[in-house]
Amino acid sequence: MSKKLMMLISLVLIATFVLAACNTKTPEPAAKEVTIKIWHQWDGKYLDAITAAFNDYTAAHPNVKIDLSKPEDVANALNVAIPAGEGPDIIGWANDKIGEQALKGNIVNLDDKGITMDFLKATYEPAAINGVMWQGKIWALPETQEGIALIYNKDVVSDKYLPSDPLNFDDLYAKAEAFQKDTGKVLVCNQAFGGSDAYHMSPIFFGFGLPNYIDETGKPNLNAPEAIKAAEWFAKFKNVSLAENSYDICKAALKEGKVGMWWTGPWAVAGVEEDGVNYGIIPMGRPFVGIKTLMLTKNAVDRGNTDVALDVMKYFTSAEVQKKLSLVNKTIPAATAALKDPEVQKLPAVVGFGAALNLGVPMSPSPYSSAQWDPVGKASQAIWQGAASPADAMAAAQKAAEDAVAQMK
Amino acid sequence: MANWSGRRRSLTALMFLFPTIVAVLIFNIYPTTLNIYISFTNRNKFRPNPDCTAGLTGVLDPLCWPSFRDNIPVGVAEPYRPITPIFKNYTDLLGTLFTPEALISLVQVLVCFVPLVVANSLNNRFSKQLMRPVPGWVVWAGGIFATVLLMLIVNFGKVFGQLLDTGDFIVVVMRTIIFVILRVPLTFVIGLVLALVLNTPDLRGRTFFRVALFVPWGASAVAILLALVWQFFFRQQGTINQILSALFNVEGPVWLNNPVSAMIAIVLADIWFSYPFFMVSILGALQSIPGELYEAADVDGANWWQQLLSITLPLIRPAVMPALVLTSITAFQMFGTAYAMTGGGPQLAADKPGATELVMVYAYRQIYQVSNYGRATAFAVMIFIMLFLATLYSLRITKVTQGAR
Repeated sequence: MSKKLMMLISLVLIATFVLAACNTKTPEPAAKEVTIKIWHQWDGKYLDAITAAFNDYTAAHPNVKIDLSKPEDVANALNVAIPAGEGPDIIGWANDKIGEQALKGNIVNLDDKGITMDFLKATYEPAAINGVMWQGKIWALPETQEGIALIYNKDVVSDKYLPSDPLNFDDLYAKAEAFQKDTGKVLVCNQAFGGSDAYHMSPIFFGFGLPNYIDETGKPNLNAPEAIKAAEWFAKFKNVSLAENSYDICKAALKEGKVGMWWTGPWAVAGVEEDGVNYGIIPMGRPFVGIKTLMLTKNAVDRGNTDVALDVMKYFTSAEVQKKLSLVNKTIPAATAALKDPEVQKLPAVVGFGAALNLGVPMSPSPYSSAQWDPVGKASQAIWQGAASPADAMAAAQKAAEDAVAQMK
Repeated sequence: MANWSGRRRSLTALMFLFPTIVAVLIFNIYPTTLNIYISFTNRNKFRPNPDCTAGLTGVLDPLCWPSFRDNIPVGVAEPYRPITPIFKNYTDLLGTLFTPEALISLVQVLVCFVPLVVANSLNNRFSKQLMRPVPGWVVWAGGIFATVLLMLIVNFGKVFGQLLDTGDFIVVVMRTIIFVILRVPLTFVIGLVLALVLNTPDLRGRTFFRVALFVPWGASAVAILLALVWQFFFRQQGTINQILSALFNVEGPVWLNNPVSAMIAIVLADIWFSYPFFMVSILGALQSIPGELYEAADVDGANWWQQLLSITLPLIRPAVMPALVLTSITAFQMFGTAYAMTGGGPQLAADKPGATELVMVYAYRQIYQVSNYGRATAFAVMIFIMLFLATLYSLRITKVTQGAR
């Protein structure tokens, strides 16, 4: 009895597998139903509005399905998925990943796929276009721009403590000193203070006139006089800062009125609003400008999804969609028409961060730029802890960055 | 006929062994071989893809196998190849260790510890004699005194500093050894004390305490999460500083920003994760000691302390030695606690590893943050050789393979 049952079950199972196998092999009669897989980095509240935008697209194109997912550790996941043919069609990622992914061959350049320079110039902001170009080729379509500025609590910081000129760091130090003297509170919180974080240090280093940490050819600039001056200012600014800073510490301290300002990016605005902070945004220094982009993968080309995927990319980065997203998510669109839109221009986040982005330094898509994070981060932590003098710390950072670049060449 | 049956027998044996041999090949031999091979190549962020015609790449890299071969992404990068000179990744890591000055400082550092070794062997010899000419503590005190004297003579701090300047490898390994030396004996003492307490027959609620004290060991499965709790204790606004300010009105330091206190913090947290292992091993061993021995000692008038030193410790030694060796090796490979609490920091300079960057944290950062596969695998090979030798030595002292002979 049980033997027969087992046999029956086995037969059913085998039949199922065979049928299932046949099913994938036989071409669909209805055909042309395309699923576009997108791997992205969008989070929490951001994602709701973005999903709605993609739903609008699939409603207008019933034969297209869009599958959004956010894998952990994208870089390593791609290294396995792309050769296996299981990767996404589109990757939503920051533009500093372009070089690395292009070197690997995980993404393809868009010049061959009908995207022209004229199209880019007619659609997107110049800084965003620079951010998606590498070695003279177009590697992605820009979605939004990001950079950090000072978000301040209007109930805590009166106008006289606001820095008058975004490039005058002595003024910022004087204001912070006065603020601490008058109120006993700290003026600025920044997660790079005491941490190892070259990104959040960028407004200071570039604000003192450093053109970049590492240039396109892989030459580090970390012991340039401007970098040392910035480092010396940073060592001094420690005296008027919290001893320990992190994203969470800064967020809570701004909410509780323990600090006046939080040096952070557009991603923090939603949380600040949720905390009920009466906030304003002003630019300070020259921050790194990161471009969020959509990249087309090798797998999309292999699967014959190029045209549909490109259409989705153009749709999502279009002024119309980016305007909608900007109004909800307070992001800064890369599409010119969306950025110039009067409604978008009225958003305080767009005004404040927009001014910072105009001063900013675009992140380089060159893979050499990946050698900058560790040395600059470590050097700023060493300066903060007083483990090394600013000049010594920057000299060591220069040496470490040169070593890292030498290993890459 | 006998020959044929012999062959058939070995064939049958081989067939039974086949699945295990395959599993060992796939899960042990292949990854190790691939790792060793990569350590002789220049694979990194700029050379991510294989050149299937170069060296053994075609055989070893999965991307060169038939199922992937047609699908290898072709980027604008150069493929990776065997590096020239072939030991470059290794010599980069060792830095200037093999220069005369560095070797002299290495010898000086080692010489400082010779008196301790001598004291140990002297003590071993004395304890075999019927009458000890000198008490054990006198020999140890002499050894320690000689060590301190030698340290002063060679200017230990300076010599050690010179040694640390040679390259990343020696820094990271020395730091990890210091971590092990701090952690393992402390864990042992705490485990021993708790085991002795739990072994007291008239302790009420023994089962409850045994379970409660064992919790950290079970919790080490989520070590990274709990390490974050420990991190919170040591933050500027963390538990310890809040207690300090509430009780003594003292503003505590930022513990994790100071190299010494950061190291102490991760040692403490890791002790918490690992003391239950010793506690349980020792408890088991304690329960196997026959009660008559203590009764006889009582009759002879031995006090508690003498019983501990002459009965308890010698009798739990066979059970504790393997645990001690095992813990030392796992402590050497500790990753989660250090990485979650400090991320290897605080950083003291851009061209040096951070103050709590132990071997595994260093390897992790080389792979995931710097993407320097060649150097990271070379590092792994060197650590493997060190641990392999340590394990062989430990097999000798614990004699675990004796039964197999």
